[in-house]
Amino acid sequence: MMLKTSHLVVFAFSWLAWAASMVQAETGIESEQLVSLAIVPAEATLSGKGESRQFVLIGTYLDGFTRDLTTRGNWELSNPDVGDLPTSGTLAARSTGNVTLTAQFAGHTASSSVQVNVSDGERPFSFQRDIGAILTKRGCNTTDCHGTVKGQGGLKLSSNALDAKEDYGWIVDGGTFQVLSAESKGPRIPRVDKKNPEQSLILTKPTDTDHGGGKRFDIGSSDYLAILDWIRSGAPYGENAGGAAAVVKVDVFPPEMVLEMSGQHQLLVTAYLSDGSTQDLSDQVMYVPTDPQVIEVSETGVVKPLKPGETSVLIRAAGFAVSTRVGIIQESVADYPEVKSWNFIDRFILAKLRKFNIVPSEVSSDAEFLRRICLDLAGTLPPPERTREFLSSTDPDKRNQLIESLLQSPEYVDYWGFLFSDLMRATFVASNNAAMTQAYEDWVVNSIAANKPYDQMAREKIAATGYSAPARNLQYVGESLAPEQIMAEHVRIFWGKRLDCAQCHNHPFEIWTQNQFWGLAAYYGGLEELRGSKVFFDRLDRDWGKPVAHPRTGEKVRPVFFDGTPLPAEEHLSPRSRLAEQIIASPEFAETAVNRVWGYLFGRAIVDPVDDFRATNPPTHPELLDALAKDFRAHGYDLKQLIRTIVQSRTYQLSGSPNDTNGGDRINYSRALPRPMEAAVMLDAISSATGVEEHFKYHAMAGGPNQVPAPGARAIQMNPDLCPSQFMDVYGRSMRKQAPVGPPEPTLAQTLHMWAGQTYTAKIAEKGGRLDTLLANGAADAAIIDEFYLATLIRPPTHEEQSQLLSILARRPDRREQTLQGFVWALLCSAEFATNH
Amino acid sequence: MNSQTPNCGCPHRSRRSFLRAGSLSFLGLTLADYLRYSATPALASETPPKAGAVILLWLEGGVSHLDTWDVKANSGFRTIPTNAAGVRISEILPRMSQHMDKMSIIRSMKTFERNHPQGTIETQTGHRPNPAMKFPSLGSIVSKELGGRNDLPPYVVVPTPSENDFFNYEEAYKAAFLGPQYDSMILPDPSQPDFAVPDLSLPKSITTEAIEDRRTMLSIVDKHYRSREHDARFSKMDEFRETALQMILSPDVKKAFDLSQESEETRDRYGRDRVGQSVLLARRLVEAGCRFVTAAGYRHGEWDTHGKNEERLRDKLAPRLDQSLSALLEDLQQRNLLESTVVIATGEFGRTPEINPGRGRDHWPDCWSLVMGGGGIQGGRVIGASDERGAYVAERPVSIGDVYATIYKALGIDWAKSYITPIGRPVYIANGFDDQAGSPIAELI
Repeated sequence: MMLKTSHLVVFAFSWLAWAASMVQAETGIESEQLVSLAIVPAEATLSGKGESRQFVLIGTYLDGFTRDLTTRGNWELSNPDVGDLPTSGTLAARSTGNVTLTAQFAGHTASSSVQVNVSDGERPFSFQRDIGAILTKRGCNTTDCHGTVKGQGGLKLSSNALDAKEDYGWIVDGGTFQVLSAESKGPRIPRVDKKNPEQSLILTKPTDTDHGGGKRFDIGSSDYLAILDWIRSGAPYGENAGGAAAVVKVDVFPPEMVLEMSGQHQLLVTAYLSDGSTQDLSDQVMYVPTDPQVIEVSETGVVKPLKPGETSVLIRAAGFAVSTRVGIIQESVADYPEVKSWNFIDRFILAKLRKFNIVPSEVSSDAEFLRRICLDLAGTLPPPERTREFLSSTDPDKRNQLIESLLQSPEYVDYWGFLFSDLMRATFVASNNAAMTQAYEDWVVNSIAANKPYDQMAREKIAATGYSAPARNLQYVGESLAPEQIMAEHVRIFWGKRLDCAQCHNHPFEIWTQNQFWGLAAYYGGLEELRGSKVFFDRLDRDWGKPVAHPRTGEKVRPVFFDGTPLPAEEHLSPRSRLAEQIIASPEFAETAVNRVWGYLFGRAIVDPVDDFRATNPPTHPELLDALAKDFRAHGYDLKQLIRTIVQSRTYQLSGSPNDTNGGDRINYSRALPRPMEAAVMLDAISSATGVEEHFKYHAMAGGPNQVPAPGARAIQMNPDLCPSQFMDVYGRSMRKQAPVGPPEPTLAQTLHMWAGQTYTAKIAEKGGRLDTLLANGAADAAIIDEFYLATLIRPPTHEEQSQLLSILARRPDRREQTLQGFVWALLCSAEFATNH
Repeated sequence: MNSQTPNCGCPHRSRRSFLRAGSLSFLGLTLADYLRYSATPALASETPPKAGAVILLWLEGGVSHLDTWDVKANSGFRTIPTNAAGVRISEILPRMSQHMDKMSIIRSMKTFERNHPQGTIETQTGHRPNPAMKFPSLGSIVSKELGGRNDLPPYVVVPTPSENDFFNYEEAYKAAFLGPQYDSMILPDPSQPDFAVPDLSLPKSITTEAIEDRRTMLSIVDKHYRSREHDARFSKMDEFRETALQMILSPDVKKAFDLSQESEETRDRYGRDRVGQSVLLARRLVEAGCRFVTAAGYRHGEWDTHGKNEERLRDKLAPRLDQSLSALLEDLQQRNLLESTVVIATGEFGRTPEINPGRGRDHWPDCWSLVMGGGGIQGGRVIGASDERGAYVAERPVSIGDVYATIYKALGIDWAKSYITPIGRPVYIANGFDDQAGSPIAELI
C-alpha cells in the first residue's frame, strides 16, 4: 500500500491542500494485499426471459478495506446457454437452468449460483411496478415536483409512487388534489387519451421542453414506449399491488461504504416480493446523493468519488426510500498514532476515525475538561477557588471523582431538570394557574432528582390521565393542542420521529403515511375538549368519548400502532398505557434517549437532528448508537449512568485543539467542538463570573406562593413563563411553546445588550461584586487579570495576554477602574466565554 | 428531477407564470378573472416601486367591521359621508372621514381562524397555525426582502406585548426559519414618561476612549481561542457587534427613537396614550429608515367586544383609532411620505352580525374589513362587498395573501415568491386561498 503523508479532508477549505497531495497518489491496488474475493449476491434467481441482474465483485484487503472489483474481474458462466453477460457483472436470462457465475481477479476466484427460470413467461403488468417505476426514476414524483404535498401544476403524484392507486386515479381519471379532502378540485380531465394515445398529457408533458419541470425523457425512448404501450392497451391498473408479487421491502448493498478517491462502487438495490422472490432494481431507481459535492451516482447505481467527505445516497424505489452512507477518504496517514480506548464508546469512535485517517485530538487539559464538565453536568462555571484546587491536585483519579461529585450535586438536578423541562415544555397552563405549571415542572425536575428510570418517566408521561402532574394535557390556551398534536409531541420526544408532517399529508421524505399518523393519534381519542376552549382533558371514565376522525375521509379511526398492529379491544379503556409499552419496547425508544443525551453532551447527535430518526437520515455511528442503547437498557434506563458512561469516555474528554488531520471534522467526534451556551446558562455564568447575583422576580399574575424567587436562585431554575428576563429573551431562551430548536443564533439585539445592557454594565461595576471586592482589597492589576481569567475562561491568562492587558492598564492610570471594567467586559463578550468547548 | 436537495431552487419557479396560467382551467376561473390576472404585468417590466416602508396599526381583539368600515342595518351606528366620493363609514370615525381619499376599504376579507391566537398567527403570517412549523411574520419577510437602512433596525414592534396580549405569539413578530436577524426589535411603551429604548445608550463612564480600549482588549482576549476555532457564529457576532456600536453612537438613530423631538401639539394630536404614541413613534421610525413598524398599542384584545360592543367602540376604541390614524395620514401627506409608506390597519378578524345577550359581538372571520393605503396603493376605493348583514362575502373575496401581495407589489417584492424551509417545504410569502400564492388587488395597485 502506498503510504504518503496524507490525510482525510472533510471540508472544502482544505480542498486545495488535498488536491496537491493527490497528484502523487497511485491509483493501483496491489494484488498481493487481496485476502479474499466474493460475489454479491452469492445466490440468486432470475425469472422471465430477458430479465437481468447486477452482481458485484467484492475484494477484501489486508488493510481491512473492501473494494468493488466488478469492472476489473473476469466474469464467466458455467453454462453459456443459460444467459449472457452483456457488461461486467450483469447477467441476462436466456433459458432455464442452474448456472455458476464466477469471477476471477489477481489469482482469486469467487462464484455465485444462479437459478434461471424463463418458463414463467412474462410477468403480469402492474401499474405500480411498471409505470410507477418510470415516474420514480424520471423524478416526476419527487417531493419538489409532482410528489409535493399538493402536487405541481395541478397534477399530484405520491412521492416514490407510494400510493399507486391514487396516482392511477389522478392520471387516468384526472382532477386536482386538495389537502385534507377526499374530493378532487375542479373538473376531472384524464391525463391519458385512449383514442389518441400519443396526445396523452402523461406523454406530451414530460417530452416537452416547455413542461414546468423540463424535459424528462425523449419521444421514442424506452420509458416513452412503455407508457405508450400501456395506454394503447387501455391503461389498465393491472395486478393489484397487494397481490402475489407486491414489494414488501427494499434494501441496498452495501449499507455503508468507505471509498478511496481512486475507487468506485456499484450499488445493488433489491426488492423483496411478497411471494418470497427478489428482484434487482439497481437500474430502475432514483439515486440522490445528499451531498452532491462528495460523490456522483450514475443512473445504474455506480458511486464515484468527487472529493473526500461523508454523505449518503438516498434511493427511491417502488414506494420505498432507503439510504446508504458513503465515506470518501484520502490515503492513509503514515504514522497514525496508537490511540487507547477508555471505554466501549471510544472503540467505535476511534475505529471509524482510523478508517477515515483522522487522528483524534489530544486528551483535554485539566482546565479545558473542568470547564466543560461543569457546564455539561451542572450548567455552571466553577468558582476560582474550586478551579485552583482541581488544577493543583495530583490525584490521578481526580476527573472521575469530579464527575461523581457533580452527578450527585443539586446543580446537576437544576441543569438536567432545566434541559428536560425545555424538552417536555414545562410551560404555563390555560387556567393561568401557577400551581399547575409548578406541579408539572416539579414532576420533571423530581424525576431527574430521583434519577427515575427513563422508561418509567416515559410511561408516566405517555399514559398520564386526568389532572395528574405529568398529564399536562391542560394547555396554554394559545396552543390548542389537539389529541393528535399531543401524540406527535410524545412521539417526537420518546420515539425520535417527526410525524407532524404526516398529519395533513403523507410525509414528504419518508414512507410515513397519513393513515399511520391518524392510527397513532387515535390512542389519544379519550381526551375531551372543554367547552370549545381547545383545552383537552383526559377522561378515563369515558370509553371513546371523543373519537379521532381522519381528516380526509371523516371516518372514525381506531388506534393502530405504527407497525400496523391494532389495539386489542380489551385495552380500549386505557389505550395509552398500551401505547407507552409499545413505544418503550421498540428499539427506537432507547436509541432516541441515548441519542438525545449524546446530543446534549457533544452539540451534535449520532442521528442529527435528535428527533429525526428515519431511513433517509442515517446515524453517523450506527453500531455505537446500538451499543449505547443496549447499555442503557441493561442498566435499567438509568440516565445518570448513561451520562457517566459518556463523559468518562476519551471521546468526550478530547481537547478542542485541532491537529493537521481533524480541523474540518464536524461529525466524527475527533475533537471537542464549540457549543453556544443556552441563554439561562449564560446568564448564570455572567452572574458567577462577576460575583453578582441576578435578582429575578415573577410576573405579578403568577400568583405562586412566593412572589419573588429565593435569593441565590439561578436562571436555569426560572420557568420562562413565570419569570420575565430581558437578557434571556435577547439570548433566545426557549419559551417552551414548541420543541426546543437548537442553540441560540447571534443577533443584533444581543450585541446591543453587550455594549449597553444592564446585565453587562451594571454587574461588572456593582458594589460588592468580584471586581469591586478585589479593588477594595488592594489587588494588583496582574492578580485581578488572573482572577477573572479563572472565573470566566477557567484558565490562567497566557503570558502574551497578561502582558498586553497590563500595558493597556498602565496607559490609563487615571481611569484604572473603568479600564478594568472594560477588561471584564471583554472577557464576558469573548467567544471563548460564550461557548462550551 | 435534476434537483435532489430539498432546499434547491425549484425548477418550476422560473416558469411560474406559465404554470399559473396553465392551471387556470383546473381552478375553474372565469374569463374575467383570467384577463384580470393576465393584465397584471410581470414585475420586471414595471416602474420602480413607490413604497419603501410599512406601518401596521394592529387592532388587537378583532374589529367589528359592522360598526366601523362596513356599517349595516344591524349596527347601532349610522354612516357618514367621507371625502372619497361614494365611500361612507361609521359616524364613530369622524376624523377618518376626512382621510378616506388616502385609504381604501376592503370589505370582503375572508380568513379561517376563529380564535385570537390562531387568527393573530393567520393575519400576521398569512398561514394558519401548524403544529409542525412556524411561519415568518409579514414584517420579517419585508425586512429580509428590503434590508435595513441608515443603521436602523429594519423591523420594529412597539410597544412590547405583555403576557396577556393576543399579540404575544412569536409568530406575530418573529422570523421563524428565516433566522433571528429578521426578528423585530421590540420597544417599551412610548407613552410612559420614562420611555427609553433599552440598550441604546452607553453609561456615561464609557467614553469614546473607553470604547476603543474595550475593543482592543476584546481582541486580545479573543485571539488565543479564535486562532484555533473558526465558527461562522463568531464572525457573525463580530459583525453584529460593530453594527450595534454604530447604532448606539449614531445621533440620527438616537433621534429617531426620541419622542421628545416632537412638539407637544403633535404628541397631543396622536393621543397621549399607548396607541397614539406608538403610531407617532412608528412615523418617526419610518421617516428615519425603518422598513416595517407594527404599532400595537391596543392591549389585552381591547377590540374583543364580546360585551357592550357599542359603548366600548364609541367611548374607548374608535376614538383612539380615529385620532391616531388620521394624525398619521395627515403627517405622512404633509411630509411627502405617504407615497413611500404603506399604511394598513387591521385586527385578526371581524365580529358577528348578531348581537349576543351581553350586547356584544363575537369572533367572525368569514367576512370582515380592513383599511389600507399609501405607498402607491390607491385610496378612496371600496373593494368587495359583504352581504346584507355583513355576514358573508357577497363580492370578490380577498385573502390575507392578496393583501400581502398588494403590499409586496407596492414595495417591489416578487409576491409570487416562495421560501424553502430547512426541511424542504415551500412556503409562499403571500399565502392566499387554498395555499396558493395570493395576487395583488389589481383595483388598488
